[in-house]
Amino acid sequence: MKDIWKLNNIKDLPGRSLEAVKTSSWVAVIRGLVNRNARATSSPIVQPASVAGRALTVVIAIMCFLACLTAGAVYMVNQSANDWFADIASEVTVQVIPGEASEFEKKVTLVSLFLAKQAGILRVSPLSSEESGELLKPWLGDTDALSALPVPRLIAVEIDRASPPDLTDIRRALGSNFKGVTLDDHRRWQSELRTVTRSLVLGGIAVLILVGSATVASIVSATKSAMASNREIIEVLHFVGARERFIAHEFEKHFLNIGIRAGLVGALGATLMFLLLPVVMRVLSGGGLVAAEFKQLVGTAVLDWPGYILFGVVVVVVASLCMLTSRYGVYRILKSHD
Amino acid sequence: MIRFENVGLRYSLGPEVLRDVDFHLVRGSFHFLTGASGAGKTSLLRLLLMSLRPSRGLIHLFGQNCADLPSPERADLRRRIGIVFQDFRLLDHLTTWENVALPLRVFGKSEASYSEDVTDLLKWVGLGDRMTAYPEVLSGGEKQRAAIARAVIGKPELLLADEPTGNVDPNMANRLLRLFIELNRLGTSVIIATHDFQLMEQCDAPRMVLNEGHLEIK
Repeated sequence: MKDIWKLNNIKDLPGRSLEAVKTSSWVAVIRGLVNRNARATSSPIVQPASVAGRALTVVIAIMCFLACLTAGAVYMVNQSANDWFADIASEVTVQVIPGEASEFEKKVTLVSLFLAKQAGILRVSPLSSEESGELLKPWLGDTDALSALPVPRLIAVEIDRASPPDLTDIRRALGSNFKGVTLDDHRRWQSELRTVTRSLVLGGIAVLILVGSATVASIVSATKSAMASNREIIEVLHFVGARERFIAHEFEKHFLNIGIRAGLVGALGATLMFLLLPVVMRVLSGGGLVAAEFKQLVGTAVLDWPGYILFGVVVVVVASLCMLTSRYGVYRILKSHD
Repeated sequence: MIRFENVGLRYSLGPEVLRDVDFHLVRGSFHFLTGASGAGKTSLLRLLLMSLRPSRGLIHLFGQNCADLPSPERADLRRRIGIVFQDFRLLDHLTTWENVALPLRVFGKSEASYSEDVTDLLKWVGLGDRMTAYPEVLSGGEKQRAAIARAVIGKPELLLADEPTGNVDPNMANRLLRLFIELNRLGTSVIIATHDFQLMEQCDAPRMVLNEGHLEIK
């Protein structure tokens, strides 16, 4: 079929005559350039900014922020718990009960030397009386009364985890060679702490699942709303002969873009929160018992890089969710027309 | 080119809106589709556009049975059909130029290959100075012409127009009718759904009359 608009045998039609339209080739090139500049590049087929799209962006950013915060917190507690157990498992403590004042320092030295000679022990670090007192300060405060108290002396013993010593033998040898010396391998503590930290991590995972479910539900719902507002675009594309895959691809691109941008905003917000957390902790706790206990629980409150990678995973999941929901929406609308 | 055999259409469990529709249109034909409001004109156009499936009967388009076609092939057949909607259905976020170019963009053609054609066609329908305007600022007549330009830019073998002169004054309606006639002369089969008798009287073309779901060609 010929191009009707390239013929000039139709009279009485609106607009300029075709003679006026026809131009020489170089003029046509210039005209094309002028037109192209006037139009700039073609707009995206899917409307880039709409009320529903903006609402979706806000919902995704907020839910992604919450999901990243929860994931980061759970990860951080889990890491702290693991570090904690690793520390505890590689260290035992020997406690020397004070006896005769003149013999006490000598006894601590002898016990330390005895321990250092045992196979499977890497390092023996006796704490000074000041260091032992420091450990009690969070509970008793900074008081002179500490010096008057018979504070036991602690000896930190680092063991070789690759070939650990027989602690039962060492405990028996210490008991038979030294009076008032006990060895604590922290097993009871480990067991109790494991229960507490596992409860914390499991609680965190439960919260993460809840936040994750809320995120999925919110994003799916917001994407569906945004898709409903695009129904006319889908129908027009369908009627002008677009294949389902083409339409789905256009919408997937659009919603993946929204998901990534909004998800990154949420993840960036969560990243800032975690970067500021150590500072906030220092400012709010001001030291003392609360700070010490909180530090015990979450370590230094610094998220390591695998934690931040977790945020990336959240963004990918959120963006994929948007994309898949939009694809489902397109096919659902098209199904009603086919 | 188009063959309907005992086609019936009902929406859900409602009564049949089209009954035993039987007709055969040859390539290059020109028909008016008329009938009272609610007679089923738009439903018949939607069947022709394959946006509805008949409750019974067979529809052959371009020699193919539409019932057996998978989705991609139905889309390919739609590319051979131009459609002018009663409510224009221009996309508000695209300029007039982009709206008219949409079918070619959808067909996967490069912008360079159709840029000049789109511009020339828009000038030809009198929208040369409205190419960068968005539909919301176009008048009813301008929207109508843009919708027609979009329908013909892909050089369809079949043009369907649903009340194409419903939103324009008689003078513009006359001009648009001339456009359809000229398209028909160039080989495009045309079906214009209308209940504008004044328009139909200006052209001696067969009329497909829908009455209570039955079709009669006069």
